[in-house]
Amino acid sequence: MKDVVTLSKKVCMLGAFGVGKSSLVRKYVYNIFKEDYLTTIGVQIYQKSVTLKNKANQVGKSINMILWDMAHIEKFDKTIKTQILGASGAVLVFDLSRMQTFNELEEHAKRFLEVNPNSKLVFAANKIDLVDNNKLKMEQFLHLSEQYNTECLVTSAKTGHNVEKMFSVLASLL
Amino acid sequence: MQEFFEQILREKKLSCAIFDHDLVLQDWSKFLHQYCSIRIANKKIHTIWQVFPELVGMEEVVESILKQQTKKHDIEKINKYTATGKLRYYTLTLLPLADPRTGYIQLVCLIADTTTETAYEQEIQQQKYEILMLQSNLAKYGNHSSIGILGNSEKIIHVREFIKRLANVKNTTVLLQGKSGTGKNLVARAIHETSLTADGPFVEINCASIPATLLESEIFGYEKGAFTNALNSKNGLLEIADGGTFFLDEIGELPLSLQSKFLSFLEYKKFRRLGSTQENTVNVRIIAATNKDLKKAVENDEFREDLFYRLNVVATFLPDLHELGDDVIILAEHFINVYAYDFRKKIRGLTPSAREKLMAYSWPGNVRELRNVIERAIIFADGDRLDDKDLLLQEISPKPASMPGDISAIPDSGLSIAEMEKRFFFNAIRKAKGNQTKAAKLLGLSLDKFRYRMKKYNLDIKNSDGVETDIK
Ligand SMILES: Nc1nc2c(ncn2[C@@H]2O[C@H](COP(=O)(O)OP(=O)(O)O)[C@@H](O)[C@H]2O)c(=O)[nH]1
Ligand SMILES: [Mg+2]
Repeated sequence: MKDVVTLSKKVCMLGAFGVGKSSLVRKYVYNIFKEDYLTTIGVQIYQKSVTLKNKANQVGKSINMILWDMAHIEKFDKTIKTQILGASGAVLVFDLSRMQTFNELEEHAKRFLEVNPNSKLVFAANKIDLVDNNKLKMEQFLHLSEQYNTECLVTSAKTGHNVEKMFSVLASLL
Repeated sequence: MQEFFEQILREKKLSCAIFDHDLVLQDWSKFLHQYCSIRIANKKIHTIWQVFPELVGMEEVVESILKQQTKKHDIEKINKYTATGKLRYYTLTLLPLADPRTGYIQLVCLIADTTTETAYEQEIQQQKYEILMLQSNLAKYGNHSSIGILGNSEKIIHVREFIKRLANVKNTTVLLQGKSGTGKNLVARAIHETSLTADGPFVEINCASIPATLLESEIFGYEKGAFTNALNSKNGLLEIADGGTFFLDEIGELPLSLQSKFLSFLEYKKFRRLGSTQENTVNVRIIAATNKDLKKAVENDEFREDLFYRLNVVATFLPDLHELGDDVIILAEHFINVYAYDFRKKIRGLTPSAREKLMAYSWPGNVRELRNVIERAIIFADGDRLDDKDLLLQEISPKPASMPGDISAIPDSGLSIAEMEKRFFFNAIRKAKGNQTKAAKLLGLSLDKFRYRMKKYNLDIKNSDGVETDIK
């Protein structure tokens, strides 16, 4: 069996305020969820290792994800550019219960890729626990994820739905 | 690191780590461990990527610093939690510095604790975003009232299920029964908004608040000349509601004479305006609500039996608040959010003793009473959570008729003048948005007298200035 090398990769959490960026990372790394809302200022950095299996169900690669939980970006200024610099991937989060948060995402994706052209993205449609599953029309989001050649997963930081999977999907792209 | 340097660094709330050309840790200050999540041991080799994982991805930047092409690189406002769970903020600065002995360029990482400045910024942003969050959440509740029917108790889940099941049946008549204040109006709106007719109008009438003689023309409309004052013809509410929902609250108060006309409308979806011979057809969903026991009203010959059965096909009982267990807290917290936003107060929730008090109370006035209690509490409270002393609950609950607004009506149970006066005070303060001078004026009292009575009624505000400035 050949050695598995662990690669460290930087991943940024992007999206409007209050969509659940911090909550998703906390759920993923520490398996905790808090109802109260603390606006993030600056960045908080988390680490989590993922081991990915290849098609033959053997350990394929191991990635040490350096997760950058970021504040809401009002302007893509120099500070933000220094923050996202060197990232290999990004999670673009929006809030299913506040659809206006979806509209910001394309701008975030575009600006992020300007700084990190070879980066990979994944979209998280968060807070699924708050909306009626039957009324959800996912088609309206898929054009964006298709445009960036990636997936859009429905998640909930509260119930944990798809949280692990969403980060694994991104890790496998890195 | 030399104690001499340690002291200088500590004085300025700094930590420091020095890496050689191969980016291996050479020297560090004692307090580096407060910042770093890895354990740094003397004999081990630590690379910069282990000590500062936040630099992963920035290999090019680090490289160019070592080559002295970049003079300095900052990462600001890095969040770290201390062992005791306190949030601190740091700025990480990378600098190239020549080793005084060898002359080689080393990489110096300086860590500055900027918690004091940043915590202040955090608070400002927190306020701003909290309000924005509330705004968008409230807009959301406004759009989908069924989400606005909060609670996790079985009975509330049943109500939500009931609404959901009605979403696809367009024209069925619905009857909502429940005590006063249980939210019949909210449920009616939710049914309307989740249903296929959601784009149409929602029109409501309270049969108890309109004189019986006017009800017919209000509901069905009239033609010019139908009666003495009918100078022009007028659309009835049924026509206005065409394509949407018509909600009749307190249907039990519909006069017997009108009941048959209304029944015939329900049967055939056709009606005539007063003074008209022409039949009108409309496409509306009828939702009726009552706090009366309609069955009993039928037995007493106050309500037509056939109308009762026609209405009772799809019916539900809305539960009393005291039957809902923990939902009282969920609802209370929701109202806290709403009113804290309305009155621009930074109140976030309930203290344990406030919770207990809310849970123990019988809530004769149901959700409406809870809402009023919270609204009042938000106006007067000055802590960051509502405490039990902020919650003014009635021992003897006044009947709805004795609520202010309907001053002349005396309920069967009688009323207390003191209670009325207290409510006037409360309403005056609310109307004056917390400004005591204005409130006193509204009641025709001097400020002194006003304050004296506030005390007397336990509406005492510890810091009256606080209230005047807090509520804008
Ligand atoms: N119901 C629900 N609430 C969530 C979810 N994710 C986050 N929240 C709540 O949304 C608010 C904002 O979350 P936060 O992670 O701070 O958002 P951020 O500003 O994007 O980092 C907090 O009150 C969270 O408790 C979710 O999946 N479901
Ligand atoms: Mg955050």
